[in-house]
Amino acid sequence: MRIEHMSSRRFVVKPLDEHAECSRFGGLDARAKLVGVLVFVVASALLTRQDIVFVSLAMSLVLVGASALPIRHVAKLYLGALPFILLASLSFFLFSGVEKGVTMWARASACVLALIVLASSTQTFELFSGLRRLRVPAMLTTLLMLSHKYIVVLSDELSRMTLARRARAFSGGRNLLDRYALKVISFTAGMVLVRSSERADRVYEGLKAKGFEKDLTGWRTSVLGVSDIAFVMAFVAASAVLLVLQTEVIA
Amino acid sequence: MHIPDGLMDPLVAAIGWIEFLLVLGAVMIVSGRRIRERNLPRVALLSAGIFVAQILNFPVGGGTTGHLIGAALFAILAGPALAVIGMSVVIIIQALMFGDGGVTALGLNALNMAVIAPLMGWGVYSLVDPVLVNRTRLGRSLSIALAAWASVFVAAASCAAELLVSYAVSAGNYGIAAPISVPAMLGYHVVIGIGEAAITVGLVAYLASVAPDLLTTAKTGMVAAGTKSILKSDTVKAAVAIVLIFVLVLPLYILYASAGRDGLEQVVAEADLEEGSPVLNAPFSYGKNYFETLLGGILGFLAVTLSALGLLRLLKWRGAR
Amino acid sequence: MKHLELRDVEFHYEDGTKALNGVSMALEEGDKVAIIGPNGAGKSTLLHLIAGFRTPFSGEVRIGGKLLDHRNADLLRKDLGLLFQDPDDQIFMPTVEEDVAFGPRNLKLEDIEGRVANGLRSTGIEALAKRRPHRLSYGMKKRVALAGIMAMDPKVLLLDEPTSGLDPRSRTELIKLLKSMNRTMLIATHDIEAAAEIVDRAIVLNVGVVTEGTMKELVTAKDVLENIGLEVPPVSKLFGVLDAMGYEVESLPVSMDQAVEELTKVIDREGKHLHAHIHEHDHTKGGKHVHEHSRGRKEESVVE
Repeated sequence: MRIEHMSSRRFVVKPLDEHAECSRFGGLDARAKLVGVLVFVVASALLTRQDIVFVSLAMSLVLVGASALPIRHVAKLYLGALPFILLASLSFFLFSGVEKGVTMWARASACVLALIVLASSTQTFELFSGLRRLRVPAMLTTLLMLSHKYIVVLSDELSRMTLARRARAFSGGRNLLDRYALKVISFTAGMVLVRSSERADRVYEGLKAKGFEKDLTGWRTSVLGVSDIAFVMAFVAASAVLLVLQTEVIA
Repeated sequence: MHIPDGLMDPLVAAIGWIEFLLVLGAVMIVSGRRIRERNLPRVALLSAGIFVAQILNFPVGGGTTGHLIGAALFAILAGPALAVIGMSVVIIIQALMFGDGGVTALGLNALNMAVIAPLMGWGVYSLVDPVLVNRTRLGRSLSIALAAWASVFVAAASCAAELLVSYAVSAGNYGIAAPISVPAMLGYHVVIGIGEAAITVGLVAYLASVAPDLLTTAKTGMVAAGTKSILKSDTVKAAVAIVLIFVLVLPLYILYASAGRDGLEQVVAEADLEEGSPVLNAPFSYGKNYFETLLGGILGFLAVTLSALGLLRLLKWRGAR
Repeated sequence: MKHLELRDVEFHYEDGTKALNGVSMALEEGDKVAIIGPNGAGKSTLLHLIAGFRTPFSGEVRIGGKLLDHRNADLLRKDLGLLFQDPDDQIFMPTVEEDVAFGPRNLKLEDIEGRVANGLRSTGIEALAKRRPHRLSYGMKKRVALAGIMAMDPKVLLLDEPTSGLDPRSRTELIKLLKSMNRTMLIATHDIEAAAEIVDRAIVLNVGVVTEGTMKELVTAKDVLENIGLEVPPVSKLFGVLDAMGYEVESLPVSMDQAVEELTKVIDREGKHLHAHIHEHDHTKGGKHVHEHSRGRKEESVVE
């Protein structure tokens, strides 16, 4: 659930990968990044000992630092994920004690930060391409790529529409009973859907007119290099360390 | 209700992944050819449209906002199979591109919002609409509203179930305790569901007046030939969809029944509470029964709904003769 | 063998209304033909039908001599290059050069690198190769789309409103570009001026063929054009006015080039001067009719 305060209304979809070029990890093969980060996240999610969880969190922070991503960007995304984490932590504080609450918060944060780095330092198309090369079915990855492209196009159109709407002094409504507000919102959403549907047939023809058959793939595909392998091995090693610590300590 | 990583018990998350992949795989195989032939861009564009529509926040009151989920809408526009695939795409993009929802939790998030929500929405709509649409002028709007609300509410309920089972099974290491998770999820989403219902109704009304062919060709163009036939088979399919949701939640109950209670007792033991502090103790005595209450509630809701609809359908069929 | 041939093509929309009625045309290699018509005339539909996207239709369409039907549509389309009205409908890849490579790669053509380079060069956007398309201006996006089509080396270019939405400079550049290309092309447009600069002949379409001929011929059929909501280009209008004022114009120019040509002829005829006659009319009884004849620096006043 996304609870946003009304004043922070942003209708432009800014994909995370705008920083991909300046991130230090930008040049790595997407497959390596995907596998490495996923292994780390899975391992981190399995941790329950507080001290080890903080080791994992520290690793995530190191990753954020190493990625050379702008801190504000990372912070903004992290804050976006916070509400749910906080709700969970709250219940922990009430029922399980502070310790478990803090553990949960640290664990979730470690995972979220790692994912933020992954998403922000990889071009979205490359990310989906990487998934494809990791054997995810073509239908899915093609859908992902196309949807992504048109999310950007449609949100541009939407931000132009809402600019016009706001110019006519509509400011978002007060509460659920504000019928007028709901009407305007559903009409705006309706416009978006109509446009998206009208595009659908044209996009089909656009694809066919360029000979598309079933798979959207990149042109110059990267080859796994030394740094990619090193990246993956680092994560695998880190995850192994975490898991060993977790299980040994329990035993 | 995009759950981040590290919140759900690993076993629950694994169940989520297995169920999601099974359903998605089945749907992709069954609808694969139909999509590849012509509808790939249409699903992609609908996913994009719904994604962007989700950005439009509606006011809930008190300065907070909620946003459209759109699962019921997708199902009404494109049928259940394509809605499952399309919403899955939305969920994946949200997780991978925006960090909205984790990846170990992706199975559960997708299960809730890309499987249960659209199936519920479609099921309710298919069952209720033929009955209501001729009965009253607002019949169509009412059926859409019910479908949208139900899709949100049941998805939230399954999310609450996952949270409380996680809590119970992991002896308090994961998840959210029932006394918080259930009221929070359900309470919040009762209201969100109303917003979703209102917007979905408004949306469909807009489409009906501006681009009516969207509503008909979207459906008939993409829904398999079989469903265009007699009303009866549509009912059966809708009922199957709703029952399927049930089947999906069942493993959670089994898990809870086998491992959950012990876990909760362990929580009580570890919590180290003073004897006789009623405020803190009380929830624990309810906590054990929460899942049953929840499940019973959902069961009851579904049972009543299905039987009422079945009854109405029967009456209508009788009346039409 | 004609590159493109249509015979009596008819097409209905889903709701039954007629979109195209008895359209016929023939294009030899290198022909440049414009399809001119108002909005809703079916120009877009015609182009998309030729590209095999509108079946079933009645009549015949032959691409490179082969008859088009729903079975071979995908195959025949490989020889066509359809430029969409909205470039976002045919740009799919994250960088410009990847998108230009998209078509050739799908068609499994040879020398993708070379084709991409040629496509970018011929549309003048080499500098944009590594840029992201969605950040580009509308005019640049159109060129990216065109480059992508050119890289496929199609026999026939089908251009759907290529100049619409462009600012004046982009429009001029695109017109220049299309003019310089040595390719068979069919341009659907309501921008008569642009068409006049590029093509040799045109077909006026309004569901059915209203008239056809060279651009010069068409421009004299002012009533026909206005009947379907089109206007002759400003240049032609101007010379029409001048003609009424006493200039003998051999034929109405439709483009700037032709206008200059025409004026040059007139200057030569009149002995290297331009005469401008200004009449002042005084409609009162017994009023004077002053006729001022200005010829460069010399001024004479003749009172009639």
